[in-house]
Amino acid sequence: MAPSSSPIVTDSLDPSTPTETLDNDLQPFFVLHKPSSRRKDRSSTGQGKQRKRNELSSPQNTKKQEGSVNEECDYHLFKPLQIEAFNSVWSRIESTIKDVLRDLNSSAFKDIQRWILECFNAARLHGEPNITEATRSFPILSNATPGQLSAALVITRNIEFVDDILTFEELGHFLKSHGCHVAKLSSVDFSMKNGIAGCLKALLREFPLGEIDSADISILASWYREQDNNNKPLVLIISDLERCCGSVLTEFVLMLSEWVVKLPVILIIGVATTVDALRNALPSCALQCLCSSKFMIGTPDERMDTIVEAVLVKHSTTFNIGHKVALFLRNYFINQDGTLTSFIRALKLACLLHFSMEPVSLIHGHMLAEDQKDWISALSPEILLKYMDEFPSYDRSQIASQAGKSIAQGLSDLITEKKLWSTAVLCLCEAGKYSKVRLLDLFCEVLNPDLYPHRDSVCHIRNEKDQGLSSTNGHSQQYSSVQTGGLIRQIVRKVRDLPTGALGQLIKRWEKLTADISEIHDKLKTFQSSVRCEDRRSPRKSSKDISKRYGSKASLDADNELTMLNLQAVAFIDCLVRNYMRPIECMPFHEISCFKNVEKLQVVLIGDPRRRIQADLLDSHKILRCSCCNKTGNALLPSRQDSSILYSLAQEHGDLINLHDWFQSFRTILHQTNKRKPKSKQSPQPKKRKDTAGSGDQNEASIQARFCRAVTEMQITGLLRMPSKRRPDFVQRVAFGL
Amino acid sequence: MDKEEEAPQIPRRTRRSSTSSWASTSNDVSSVKVNSLEPQTINDLLVGGEPVSLDDLLSNFPGRNSQIREIVHLLGPLNTPMLPLFVYGGASTGKTSIILQLFRHLNRPLVYSSCRTCYNPRILFESILNQLHLHRRSAANGYSNAKRCERPSDFVNFLREALTNAINNLKEKSEKLMSSKTMRGGIGNMIYLVFDNFQLVREWDKSSTILPLLFNLYDMLKMPEVGLIFISNSSPDTFYSNMGYVEPIPVYFPDYVEADIRKILLRNQANPKLYSSFLDVSLRPFFRITRQINELSTAFKPLYEKYCEPLSDKSIVPNEDMKRRLFSHIMLHVSSSLNEIFKVSSLPLSKVESSKETTQKGTPRKLEHCEEVAKLDFHMSTSAKYLLISAFLASRNPATLDASLFDSKGGSDNRKRKRKPSEKVPEKKESLEEELLMKGPGSFPLERLLAIFQCIVSVADDPSDEEEQNGFGLGVEGACGDLMSDVLLQLSSLCNAKFIFKGRSCPIEGSTRYRSSISEDLALKVARSLKFPLSSYLYKRT
Repeated sequence: MAPSSSPIVTDSLDPSTPTETLDNDLQPFFVLHKPSSRRKDRSSTGQGKQRKRNELSSPQNTKKQEGSVNEECDYHLFKPLQIEAFNSVWSRIESTIKDVLRDLNSSAFKDIQRWILECFNAARLHGEPNITEATRSFPILSNATPGQLSAALVITRNIEFVDDILTFEELGHFLKSHGCHVAKLSSVDFSMKNGIAGCLKALLREFPLGEIDSADISILASWYREQDNNNKPLVLIISDLERCCGSVLTEFVLMLSEWVVKLPVILIIGVATTVDALRNALPSCALQCLCSSKFMIGTPDERMDTIVEAVLVKHSTTFNIGHKVALFLRNYFINQDGTLTSFIRALKLACLLHFSMEPVSLIHGHMLAEDQKDWISALSPEILLKYMDEFPSYDRSQIASQAGKSIAQGLSDLITEKKLWSTAVLCLCEAGKYSKVRLLDLFCEVLNPDLYPHRDSVCHIRNEKDQGLSSTNGHSQQYSSVQTGGLIRQIVRKVRDLPTGALGQLIKRWEKLTADISEIHDKLKTFQSSVRCEDRRSPRKSSKDISKRYGSKASLDADNELTMLNLQAVAFIDCLVRNYMRPIECMPFHEISCFKNVEKLQVVLIGDPRRRIQADLLDSHKILRCSCCNKTGNALLPSRQDSSILYSLAQEHGDLINLHDWFQSFRTILHQTNKRKPKSKQSPQPKKRKDTAGSGDQNEASIQARFCRAVTEMQITGLLRMPSKRRPDFVQRVAFGL
Repeated sequence: MDKEEEAPQIPRRTRRSSTSSWASTSNDVSSVKVNSLEPQTINDLLVGGEPVSLDDLLSNFPGRNSQIREIVHLLGPLNTPMLPLFVYGGASTGKTSIILQLFRHLNRPLVYSSCRTCYNPRILFESILNQLHLHRRSAANGYSNAKRCERPSDFVNFLREALTNAINNLKEKSEKLMSSKTMRGGIGNMIYLVFDNFQLVREWDKSSTILPLLFNLYDMLKMPEVGLIFISNSSPDTFYSNMGYVEPIPVYFPDYVEADIRKILLRNQANPKLYSSFLDVSLRPFFRITRQINELSTAFKPLYEKYCEPLSDKSIVPNEDMKRRLFSHIMLHVSSSLNEIFKVSSLPLSKVESSKETTQKGTPRKLEHCEEVAKLDFHMSTSAKYLLISAFLASRNPATLDASLFDSKGGSDNRKRKRKPSEKVPEKKESLEEELLMKGPGSFPLERLLAIFQCIVSVADDPSDEEEQNGFGLGVEGACGDLMSDVLLQLSSLCNAKFIFKGRSCPIEGSTRYRSSISEDLALKVARSLKFPLSSYLYKRT
């Protein structure tokens, strides 16, 4: 989704350069060398997202490599097939996501476009200046009050901006295809450094004006007035208001408003937080030039839900994630950074990891082709069988392991079961909309395999009681108290209390959802027919709402009927939960398409580099595995890496480290070597002594140099801060604890 | 039409490949566009339009009688030299429009340049020269200027050359006119250079060269046929002006009084009677806040619509009874929009429109909207929220109190402890608080922010875990550890959203300092969404 994330993945996919990437990318996490450019990047607090991506790229590669190295011998054969499978699956998912997001925005886009047309026509109504008027330098004289710039504030409602880059890009395309001149400016163009000149230059660059050496808005005005350009509205999109430099934006708005009659620019301003942002950014003189209206586009929550629905629920046959992974992704989204971009990237990583780790996953790509016999013949069935035997779910399901045929049977069962599952989840989600249950949360709960057995047993109890269909409130309460699934319980409770009209709508939507799945649809039909029977029994059938209003007895009747209907609906939900909502992890053969390894994903997504650096510095011997340190364990040996020694020594200090003490202890440790080493080596003593005596000064100097270098390295990695002017002989520790 | 559309595109394409040979291609272009783009003549320097009489002009600008007469007097009759003029006054007091209308009335050529549009000396110079050379920038000439001019000295030379040309042109023309017809006056031999928004020039390169140059232009050119008019927001005293050039004659445009504003606002109304009854109600309170015509008119536009809402026929002449009814209808809106205009004038409009949209879309939306008011209506990750709260605390509380607020027991205990001294010396407290308010949010180093963040997260972690369990039924594993992991990223995105400002590094300590700029309201909203007891951590308000 994000433009820079794709090269990363293709990079790691490339099988030709495994060793190189291995070497390069391991560096920053294990060994401290000279500060490489990447590490500098990290220590400076610069562009957040970019930095993150850099960091992300490396662990991913390493992980991928590690994974494949372990299993290389076994699965070497399947490598290209796996890549192919991944590509086909991911391209499917990606296109789904794109379509879904576009559909989500389309109504807002249409609103904006309608508004633009209104503004444009309103401006034209006041009369168009001809080209001579428009290109003159002085403002057009009219008795009317000076016109205002029309500005649409598109509120994206997410503090993180990454997701909306794409949104505004699409908005631009959309408007362009609907006959507008569109120019896009971003906050980069409104920088203090370049001032108004930079932003005008960027503006003019968006139009086919040729080479222009001094950016001047009058050029745009004359362009707009000649050659029938003024038949179309001129739209200017400023995508991220918050990051723009306020003073430059003010100047720009004032200048545009000076030209508003000659050059009726329509502004579209992306606001990440609230309308107040504009109020804070611009002074009142600029604000009064704007005639603004507000547009909302979907919140990240809504967008997230649609993505989850489209990718993980509706297309659950293609690729799925286990409960823990889902939970991790949800928490990451809510707690860490609420961007779809990172969620989609995480999904992609999960997909990649899945295909690289799970050998049988490649069946998948073929399953997609819906040619189920082909894949069996394409691979040797013996190997497949071998792997499949290892599936825990395979054992559990105890399908007779005769040959490929039964496996094929199992797989097609899996597919149908998943389809049922996704329909059931969608129905549940539809019901959940009344109690404002988020699909993401529901999804996590539904996937939880721990809850499943409870749910099952609960349903059995429920089933017995259902026979009588005489469930009173007490029953329902008992039911809800027994059931452990929080959200499902919530939904059920809500459905029970739903008014008739809403319930009717819900049932209609259920019908639509289940139209393709005959199994559930039939259930719904029987449930509906039973309701109809009830209806027929009651005299006032279609006029429930009216009957509700008149008379106490009639309303009582209606209430009764209402509860009946509601109970039926609850029973339907119950049936869905009981029969079709087996968590994916409990289905046989789910390993083929389900990614469950949350630890790997966690490591890949949350690098936590600083903690890693600290941990690795403290026990570098475990990573380096050199012969000398191996024997002595944790003791500080001079042969250890300098910064590692220094950091271990620093552990003894508080947040301030006396440089002199630190150096002294460092020196003693190094000297300790000089004494010990010769002994262990059993080399002729006098010679060694001479060496040390002769190069004593030089040794001191080199120790100092090593000390300095190690301290600098630790500063670069952000573990300590150099001495300040106030306390020249102390360094300050910045990072504490692991 | 098709032909017209196609033809100009071809030469443009060729021009892009052959860079500056537009002269050769301009032939075929001119054949197409000759109808719309005639070459400019000296008449294009006139304001043009219908001629207006002085009386019309005076009646069009209520309250500007004396200023108009003064300027007319200073400009003098046709072909009389004049000293530079410095017109100044507050925003939207009619300076620019009066000058332009005056020139329309006098029918004399002027070269107008706004220093806002011409945002640097070079563009200013080139724009003036373009106008004098009667040069129009178009696709045909690649939007190039008549003369390339960057240095002030070049400008003076070019300007003199262009002015002599133009004046000779004018002289020829007026001679012709004299001989052929005795029309009304003719356009004379004078050319007037008008510099609008002149106060902005002060900011260009610290006004070291351009300001003296422009003020000195009159002396340097020594051409009696050139008149200079500067229009500025600020008085001539604010320009550095003891440089030995001829001081321009100041003309001051004072702010309008209420009666003038009334007249101006009534000028183009469809139903003046109704509008005047509207103004009876609303002008007085607004006048206390602003006297700028454009601010007032933008504020009144939606308000007047509100005022007319109960009326079916807008051309009705209101009687006393109806006025009273309308008054009671509008009073509420006046007071609310007064508040709005005080902060932002653009907002009432946007609010009106957005509420309209919601009503169109039906009631459920609207209800939702009402609910959302109290809630935080944009997405922020949990750790960003905590970080924002800690930044708010760090900015608000003095650093010395951190230790007592965030000890191991958490905030609730300390509150009691803190209250005792505050009861003892309330006066001192008050003055302290006032001082705090005056100072605004304080700045803090990154370390303090992170320390507070960690405290908050660890304190809030225990109860929040339970709540999460109750609310969602989803086990939140290691929420605390997760929250801590990329704080710096969150910080940078908060900085981007302008919730936290990153200051320059402190000269003594050498580290960057931050400052949180959010309002207490927003902080409370964020805290509420986290169920974080913010108020118990705030140092203040006894």
